[in-house]
This record gives sequence, structure tokens and C-alpha cells, in this order.
Amino acid sequence: MNPFIFQSPTKVLFGEYTTTGCADLLLELGAKRPLLVADGFLLESGMLDPMIDNLRGLGEEPCIFAEVPSDSDVACVDKAAQFAREHGCDSIVAVGGGSVIDTAKVVAICLTLGGDLLDYQGLNCIERKLVPLVVVPTTAGTGSEVSFVAMIKDKKEGKKLLFGSPYLAPDVAMLDPTLILSLPPRLTAATGMDAITHGIEAFVASGTFSVATDALCLESLRLMFRHLPEAFSRGDDMEARSATLVASTMAGIAFTNSGVGIVHALAHSVGAKFGTHHGMTNAVLLPFGMEFNMEQAEQRFARIADYALAADCLEFSGKTDSYKASFLLDRIRSLLVEFSLPRSLKELGLPELDDDVLNELSCMAASDPAIMFNPRETTDEDLIEIIKRAY
Amino acid sequence: MAVFSSTEELHRIMEDLWNAIKSDEQMAGQLLASRLIVQFHYREPEGRLTIDCSDGVEMKIHSGECEKKPIVEMFMKSDVAHEFWLGKVNVPMALLQGKIVSKGPVSKALALLPALKPAYPMYPTVIKNNGLKVSV
Repeated sequence: MNPFIFQSPTKVLFGEYTTTGCADLLLELGAKRPLLVADGFLLESGMLDPMIDNLRGLGEEPCIFAEVPSDSDVACVDKAAQFAREHGCDSIVAVGGGSVIDTAKVVAICLTLGGDLLDYQGLNCIERKLVPLVVVPTTAGTGSEVSFVAMIKDKKEGKKLLFGSPYLAPDVAMLDPTLILSLPPRLTAATGMDAITHGIEAFVASGTFSVATDALCLESLRLMFRHLPEAFSRGDDMEARSATLVASTMAGIAFTNSGVGIVHALAHSVGAKFGTHHGMTNAVLLPFGMEFNMEQAEQRFARIADYALAADCLEFSGKTDSYKASFLLDRIRSLLVEFSLPRSLKELGLPELDDDVLNELSCMAASDPAIMFNPRETTDEDLIEIIKRAY
Repeated sequence: MAVFSSTEELHRIMEDLWNAIKSDEQMAGQLLASRLIVQFHYREPEGRLTIDCSDGVEMKIHSGECEKKPIVEMFMKSDVAHEFWLGKVNVPMALLQGKIVSKGPVSKALALLPALKPAYPMYPTVIKNNGLKVSV
């Protein structure tokens, strides 16, 4: 067995209405005055009222910041950090999707370390623990509630800023399935496909996967393949919602330790250029990335099929790895049809891609950190070819 | 025991290696096209090396303190740098484990890694010419 290091510093709590225990958790962490960074829609819907009531138990009216856009940026982080300082906040509670959680992580950097945010851009640049951070994901997909990474835009410079450090891992992730019951079917599917992409890419990552990440990926994918269609078609199915929420967090822990790959590298570049939804873009690109990696990863794809899809295909015994890997690929494609998700970049809404745009997208993907973990080495020509095929 | 016995030895070897890279038209061309200024901070022993490609014309190699503000900074033990140039470092793993710290726009620095691969075979010659006695 290859040597490995596995880290998962985030305490994970799962349960219906588990968020109503948030105040006690903050006290355990030595915090009394949290900044609540919340998704505006959820806040207005009243779904966060029980949690806010619980936070009142800390003695003061909670400070709430609910102005995070879908693609958060430096200006939003600065505003939230300033708001937190003015109110003497000593901790952060984030309730929302990936953008809200990433914003909260970067606000935690500002509150703890001060100075110029750009000084902390990069990998492993943060050298000490940040203010307590409790995270409540309201989608089942990003894995940000347990990851070491945060990404926000610098709109002034037209760049994405990447922050990566174990200190960015939230102290606590509270998984409350009641908060995702109203997630619309299309968003359920897109974020779920994001989690499936995390599981698959982390499982085949080049030289970084381990038995620990394998276990998380396989069980996460089994849960997702089984329950995501149920959560899509019956949003109020608590068991299905619970399974997808837990599976997403498991995949998040896995990719945090082993990385992702070419699908994410391409999705980041397409998203940066055209503003497409991250999960939806991953969903479109996943079959094409898997096809590209098939030669190197066939055996690993077959293992996924064996474990995660065995219930769907009783005639697996005696079949070759090639058969099983193709079966997995077909299952991914059939999910896109079942969920009525786009199956090409064109259907995703991208305009015609001329040579300049193709080159720009391939350059961005080639320099994305995710590409390092892909099991097959890539050239610019490979990346352009995949984008063309996916279009 | 550390591979390099002193800062002077570390600087001498890294400067020689980068001068060899600079002499290679293909590698130098790709680095100059990036227009990056990369600064390496080494420890055990301490050392600093700045590679300045900002004018896109000539690669400037500077060891020790440098006034030029880097775009990307890389921090690592000198031994990790030695292993890297021998092609023995799993860079993704080293980044995940915190053995390499990358400050600034990481993607720009990572994009250059494939361009540097042809330098790996140069390194054993460079250390041999400098009388460094280590197994490669």
C-alpha cells in the first residue's frame, strides 16, 4: 500500500433540525458573537428562523449578512468583513451553497489575519487557525463544508482568487436535510452531479488517492446513484435528501485529500469565461472527461461500477473491466437524460467557439490546479479536442 | 542531514541549473512567454532565488535578496527542491501535504511545471559539476 496522509479536521453533525443546536456548538468553540452569512432566499423564506432563534440564545440579536451573489467576489467579502468588525463578531456561521460558504471562509481570513487579502492567495499560505467557522450547506454537491479551498472573484482584475489551506476547513459542518427539501429539481440534479463528479475524479486522481479516500468515494457514489434520482423526482423524500447530503460531504472529504481532475479544470475555465453553473457544467463535461481518461482509469471506473452500481446490473459477474467502465459511463449519460440536464456545451448555452476562445479555454484549463491530479497527462490539443467534442 | 551544506552551495547549484535552463531555447521561450517573476524561498539551509521573465526578452536569475516584487512565491525545504529537480517529488501530493507553499496566482506557476520537465536530466550533471556527493 502506498503511504498517504488523510486529514479531515471538520466535525460533521447530521440530523433533521440539527442546526437548532448551533449556539451550543459556538460556545464549545469559544465563540459568542457570530456573523451569520446566509443565503438571501432561505432567510426570506423563514426556513432559518429556528436556527436564528437558537442563536439569540447567545444573548444578542444575531448579525446577519445576506448579500452574497451567486458568484461571490472581493467586494462582497470586504463588505461582510467590515460589517463583522463593526459588530464585534468573533466567529462565522455560513448557511447556503458554495458561494456563501466560500465567502464565509475568506471573511474568516480577513477577520483573523487582517492585511491585504492577496497576501493569502495561494496554497498553504495561511499559517494559523482562523476564527471559528460553522457551516450549513443548503445544496448537496459542493463539498465546501469540509474542503480546504475557497474561490472568489476579483472582478476589478477579472481573475479568480484561489485560497487553499487546511486552516480553511470549517470547524463544524451541520448537515440538516430539512433545509434542502425545497431545492428545485434542476438544482438538485446539477449539484448532485457535482458531487458525483467529485466522487469519480477523486477516485481516479493521479497518485493521491488512498484506501481512505477510496472508501469515501465508493460509498458516496453508491448513495448518489441510488438516491439522487429519488431526490430529483420527489423533493420531499427525507431519506433521499439525507443520503445525497451525506454523500456529498463524503465526496468533499475525499476530493479534499486526493484532488479532482480534468472535468473540474475544464468546468472552471468554461464557468469563468461564460458564467455557467458549476455543477451543471461538470455534469455536461463528466462523460467527455471520463472518455478521455478511460485508458488510464478503466480499472478504477470498473471498481466504481462494481461497488456503486451492482444493484442496477445483476449480470456484472464475469464481465470485463471494460464492460463495467462503459456501463458506468452509460449510467452517467442516462442520468443527464433522466434529469433533463444539458448534454453538450451548446445545450448549456455556450455560443459558437472560435479558435481564439478554444485556445483561451484550453490555456485556462491547463493552468488550473485540478489538472495536476488527472490520471492522464494532457496537452493543449487534448483539451481543445475535448471541448470540441463536448460542444 | 540536509543535501546542501550551505546557502552558498545551494545558491551556486540553483543558479547553474537555471542558467542551463536559460540556455535551452525551448524551455526559456516558454518561461519568458509567461512573463512571470517567480521567487523561491528555501530553508535548511536558507536561500532565495528569483527568476525574472517579466520583460519577455531575457530571463534574469538572481540569488539572495532581490528588490523585484515577485508574482508567485514558492516556499519549501532545500531538500524538497533537490528531490523536485531529480523528478522525485509528486507535486500534487506535496501541495496537499503542505510540503510546498505557493503564494500568489498558483495556476500561473503550475502551468509552467510541464515546461520544466526537460530540466530534470540536467540536474544530476549540475550537482556533479559542483562536487555535491549525493546519490541520485
